[in-house]
Amino acid sequence: MAVRGAGDELRRIVHVNEEIKSVVATAFKINLMAMNAIFLAKRAGQTALGFGVLSNELRRFATDLQQQMAALREMTYGSVGTVTGMLKQTQLNRVLGRAHAEAVGVGRKLIDEFLRGHSEVMLQHEESLAALNRRLTHMIADTTQLVELGSVLARSAKIEAAYGGAFSVSLMQVSSDFERTIGEIQRSLETISKHQSQEVR
Amino acid sequence: MKTAQVIFEDGDHKWLAIVRDPNRPSYLVDTNEYLVLAGDDAILLDPGGGEVFSAVFSALSTVFDPRRISKLFASHQDPDVISSLSMWLEFNPDIKCYLSWLWGSFVPHFGGDAETFVTIPDGGMDISVGSQRLQAIPAHYLHSSGNFNLYDSGAKILFSGDIGAALLPPGEDGLFVENFDRHIRHAEAFHRRWMGSERAKRDWCARVSRLDIDMLCPQHGAIYRGDDVRRFIDWFGQLEVGVLGA
Ligand SMILES: [Fe+2]
Ligand SMILES: [Fe+2]
Repeated sequence: MAVRGAGDELRRIVHVNEEIKSVVATAFKINLMAMNAIFLAKRAGQTALGFGVLSNELRRFATDLQQQMAALREMTYGSVGTVTGMLKQTQLNRVLGRAHAEAVGVGRKLIDEFLRGHSEVMLQHEESLAALNRRLTHMIADTTQLVELGSVLARSAKIEAAYGGAFSVSLMQVSSDFERTIGEIQRSLETISKHQSQEVR
Repeated sequence: MKTAQVIFEDGDHKWLAIVRDPNRPSYLVDTNEYLVLAGDDAILLDPGGGEVFSAVFSALSTVFDPRRISKLFASHQDPDVISSLSMWLEFNPDIKCYLSWLWGSFVPHFGGDAETFVTIPDGGMDISVGSQRLQAIPAHYLHSSGNFNLYDSGAKILFSGDIGAALLPPGEDGLFVENFDRHIRHAEAFHRRWMGSERAKRDWCARVSRLDIDMLCPQHGAIYRGDDVRRFIDWFGQLEVGVLGA
């Protein structure tokens, strides 16, 4: 945190959180899409059995993703708390720094001690933020893998759609929607990873 | 963390109430923060104390991108109203803070510089948020000597700061006033002791009676809706204020 301020860190967290929010909205959309796909597969009957199985899997994927994103958000709020502590320390350090410059004699020595104490507190904040960030990075990696699975499911659904007989066109449409929407999530996750890699270690 | 609840919505014109933190330590007075959104712009009303910054920031981030907040409105100078200012500025150095001219050189002790503040003259002023024009309504001496409410004629909402405040016991702390008579007991001692001027009170009652108000939103306690708005103004008009002891 020596190079970047706590304010920068807060802005970075907001970037990540806004991106997480957009994934949450998309995951919700996928859940609805999967429900529709399940009904469509039921209507298509025998010819869309495989598609139906995949739709169920996609629905489970969307639910897992929603849970994963909720946990990620929870973590970013934890980070806001820690960064707020750092904001307070930053302000205190600024004030103490000014006092130090003006103080003489024993006053200066006392402020020296204060500053030492505060740099320790700041260090603790930095360490807990770094730990939170490490956990967040791991969870983002896990989520990326999960979404990779979703992407495979969507591609398989597309293949199954080809065997959908009279329903083939509408099944194809649905599976293309899945593919495109999951692609959006992958791009969001890439953005999150990018912001996350800018974290201060 | 607090929760953010939508209390008014008309297209991209919205009011959010940020309320009730289960983790708030009991030595801190509970506060309500309000966010008014209009298009891409937003103003945060009585942003709260430094101690609740993280609870407020996280709660509003669940429903809104905090980078879009361009303005803060401080009804008066109290620490529970605006001591989080320096943190908001750390997050967004361009943010503007609207407050009474009377406190223009006092509140910078919480943070900010000459660029930060837009001071409101005693008669009040309009504040633009996106396409909406909000009005700072004078409420001096209630309780602060330089004090403003904020009226949104589009939403018919009056943010009343400490006026209408109630210190609610746990279990009776719903977001809206449901039973006026029961509720007002928790507001009485506060108004008697904190509101300093009988004359200012009468002026305020007359002034806001001319406004079309669906919701009166105080900084502490519950929101008055519908007929309870009128009930509150009448009750306040009758109450003897500026009294030490009950
Ligand atoms: Fe106050
Ligand atoms: Fe207050």
